[in-house]
This record gives sequence, C-alpha cells and structure tokens, in this order.
Amino acid sequence: MNIVVLVKSAVDEAELRADPSGHPVLKGAAVKMSNFDMNGVEEAVKQKEANGGTVIVVTLGGADAKKAIKEAMAMGGTRAVHILAEPPAAPDSLATAYCLAQAVKRIGDVDLVVCSEGASDTYQGEVGAMVAEFLDMPFIAYARKVATANGKVRCEQGLRGAVRVLEAKLPAVVSVVSEANVPRYPTLLQVMAAGKKPIEEIPVASLNGPDYPETGTEVIDITIQPADRKKLLFDGTPEEAAKKLVDALKQEAVL
Amino acid sequence: MTGAVLSYSESAELAGEVAAAGAEVATMLGTDAVALELDEMSAGLRTSGSVVVLKGDRALEAIADSAASGILEFAKTKGFGALLIGETRFGTMVAAKVAARLKVGSLGKGKKLRVDGGRLVLERDAYGGKFVATVASKLPCVAVVQAGAYRATDAPPRAVETVTVAVGEPKVAIAETRHGQERDAGIKSAAKIVSAGRGFAKKEDLALAQDLASALGAAIGCSRPLSSDLGWMGEEAHIGLTGAYVHPQLYVAIGISGQLQHVAGIKDSKIIVAINKDRQAPIFQVADYGIVGDLYEIVPALTKAVKQG
Repeated sequence: MNIVVLVKSAVDEAELRADPSGHPVLKGAAVKMSNFDMNGVEEAVKQKEANGGTVIVVTLGGADAKKAIKEAMAMGGTRAVHILAEPPAAPDSLATAYCLAQAVKRIGDVDLVVCSEGASDTYQGEVGAMVAEFLDMPFIAYARKVATANGKVRCEQGLRGAVRVLEAKLPAVVSVVSEANVPRYPTLLQVMAAGKKPIEEIPVASLNGPDYPETGTEVIDITIQPADRKKLLFDGTPEEAAKKLVDALKQEAVL
Repeated sequence: MTGAVLSYSESAELAGEVAAAGAEVATMLGTDAVALELDEMSAGLRTSGSVVVLKGDRALEAIADSAASGILEFAKTKGFGALLIGETRFGTMVAAKVAARLKVGSLGKGKKLRVDGGRLVLERDAYGGKFVATVASKLPCVAVVQAGAYRATDAPPRAVETVTVAVGEPKVAIAETRHGQERDAGIKSAAKIVSAGRGFAKKEDLALAQDLASALGAAIGCSRPLSSDLGWMGEEAHIGLTGAYVHPQLYVAIGISGQLQHVAGIKDSKIIVAINKDRQAPIFQVADYGIVGDLYEIVPALTKAVKQG
C-alpha cells in the first residue's frame, strides 16, 4: 500500500513572542511538526505495518520544514516530498491544498492519503477536505478508528452526538483526530536514521498548473490576542477562599 | 449587484446566528440574505432575510459530501456574494469542499466579519489562539462563523422557497450510525460551564466537578487529555482548539493548567475562574479569579458556598 501522510511545519506557538507593536516575531521562531500531525503520521505508519508498503511524507514549507520532515521520517516515514515554498510566497489554504494534491498526483499510485484534523498554528481544518476535492477522492474526516481492507477504508467518526461508521473506496483521503492512536516516540537510532532517508525537493512554482486557484485571499495583519483579565487570587482556608469567590461572582452578576 | 449572501448551518442552534451574520454582511454589501436549509425547513429558524430549502435526489444533510454538492449546485446556478457556514465539524467540511470545488477564497473560521473595499474580512485565531489574524478575500468567498458572535433575530423569514438540486452519489457511504454513545455536553451554548482537567486523579473524582456543576446549574466540559488520552469524558465535552469554542458567562476551570490550546476555546467567556494547586499554572494568567490549592478541598468547599448562596 502506498500511503501519503500530509505534514505541516508549524511555528511552535508556545515559544512565539510578540514584538512591542504586538506582532509575532516570526523571524528565527522555532518550528516543528504540527502537534496534531503526530497522530496523522502514526496512523500512516500503523497502516503500513498492517498492510505493508511505503509511507511518503509530503509537506509544503520553507527550508526550515526539514525539521518536521525528519520528525515524521523518524516515526516511520519511508521517504519524503518537500514542496519548497518560502514564507512570503507561501500559498493560502486552497492553493496549499492544490499543491499538495499535485504532489500526490506526481507520486502516482497512492492508495491512501492521511492527514490530521488541522494544524496547530492556524487550525482551520480545511486543507484535508480540499486536497480530497482536488484529487477527486472520497474524504473521511475526524476519523478515530481507521481500517483498510479489500480496496476500502472504513472509519469511525464522532459527529453530532453520534458515532458513525463511514466507508469509502480507495484511494481516499482520511483525517484523524487525536483519539485515533497514541503517537510513538522514535528511538535515537530511528532519529539518526531519519536523516539518511531520501527527501525529494519540488519548487512550489513547478506545481503551478493552468487550474491553479487564485482566490485573492490574504492575511492582512496578525496581532497579539488581547487578554485583560483581573487575575485576582483568593486565599485563606478552602472555606474562606470559596466564600470570597462566591461573593465576587455575585458582584459580577454571574451567580 | 453583488450576489446574495448565503448562510447555512446543520445545527438548529447555530442556523439563526449564521443567518444573522449573513443579514449583516448582506446589508454591508447592499444585497440579499438567503438562509439555506437542507432537506426540510426547521421550524425554529429565524432570519430577517429569506429562506431557501434545498431538496435533493437524496438526503442532503446525511453526509457532508451531499450537503456540499447541494449548496454548490444552488450557488453555481444563482451566483452568490459570500457563503457563511456555522462552525461545527460538519460545517467545516462543507465549507472546505464548496471552496475547493468553486475555487473561491476560504477565510477560515472566526467571529467578526466586515466588508472593506469590496472584500470580506474575518478575524480568526492564529498560533494556537495566542494571536488574531485578520484575513481578507475578494468575493465570492466562503467563511465559517463561530457560535456566539451574532444574535439570531426574532423575526420569521420574509419568504420561504423550495429549490430542487441534483447531487448524485456521494463518495462516502454511512455503514452504521450508533446514537447515544456520545452525549452532546451542551457546552457550546451553556451560560455556565464547569470544566475538569488533569488535576483529577481518577475518573470517579469527576463527581466533585459534577456536584459543583449541579449546584451552579452549569454544563460540564473538560480539557483535551480527559477526553482524548484518558477517555474519561466524551469527545463532545472537550473544550479548546480542537474541541468546542465556548462563550459562557462563567467558566470554572478545575485542575486545568491552561495550555494555549485550551485557552483558545475559553477566551470569550465573561468570567473565568481557575482552581489549581500550582500557582505558576498559566491558567491564572487568563483567569479573573483564582484559588491556589488542592482541588479536592477547594471544590467541595465551593459547592457548599454556592449552595448556601
């Protein structure tokens, strides 16, 4: 089985600082594989272990995305395709999905495309669905259990207070939630071996076909989230603190 | 004239809010607002615009693929200025599919919409909710609207029309549906929420949070580890970036450290209360009121104090 796993190199949001004007300091900011993608990679590797085959890690990002690629390779990726797009020219979500789909088409003969439910930095959760549309493949989102057999994929999905079992013919695109699996921690040996696995680089411009989506979508500004909370701590015995809290909540008219 | 602003949500709770967002954007654009309903009109839908009920050759709302196809057929035939969809898992899928099939801009999910220089502008979370991104797209485009940003009108729709669409076979089939396994925690629209985190040592101890919730008349939710890693609560109860965004009057976080991903989902709460044994826990930085201490002592005392009024 040829399995593609879509991985994003994301800014480590926990480390990201704002400059005095409230804008994020992206230059030199630490990047890593988007947290949720660990579940995507784990699922791809699990499917490979169950069915045999290869796991091809596909990512779109700047030169610093190599770190995310290596993390995915250490978890069990066989090889990688890196669509090189440096940040100022980075495409929007629809164009990103288009480029990822183009790369999957180039790889050819792909049975399953796995991704996570969204990226840890933007968390819009739309690229997986868009990739499926560009590939004209079925898309099962938010899978918490994935099984492939007899040319089909069968997934459990939690939606609207019910659990649904969905089925689609392969090739298909599946996005997994964190309930799907427990990501493995690679050993030091696996981390070192990951550096030797092949990475194919494709300039983003080379994927720019006649049907490239030009949507005129742009990020105008990014500023720090305003947070003006009172940050008042109540002390004393549990009973005293609880009483003070209840009084404060009454003052706020929320009790 | 710009095409109509279409709104849609499969959630009866959200449909009126998204219709209100649609009406506001339509006014800014000088065009009509049309709330879309699939398969049948839900009795409670209120909008200052009109309603179009889309009926397909199969149940449209059964699966995101069919819902997207139905909306797409209508949007392609009639044209549109913007399509606003309520933020749920289902809605997110439908929005992405429609944007990809039409190759129009997708603004993502956020709360505040405005029109600027003929473009639709949306403010949405960035970098785990630590920052706010302002995103703009030329028209037509698609945006996902989160709960709590707009208030549904009380007015019944001006007109209701039924339109038939042909959608064809969806690529995904439903093999089985198991109801009742997941309980809708009701947190998305709750006025008060008690939320539990890793500070609880075992599942049975959640009864303490439940007692407080009962005393407050609050819904109960949790941070990601409890639903995802430990499975103590259902997926629907999970609050945060990958779960529900909530906007209660009162949010009580118990034994929750306050990771960015959790805070992203609670920042629209009016009052945030934190109970945690670690004074350095980041949750205290985003809370209005806090008590540093052992939740096993604080929570019962708080429940008692609430009951005593």
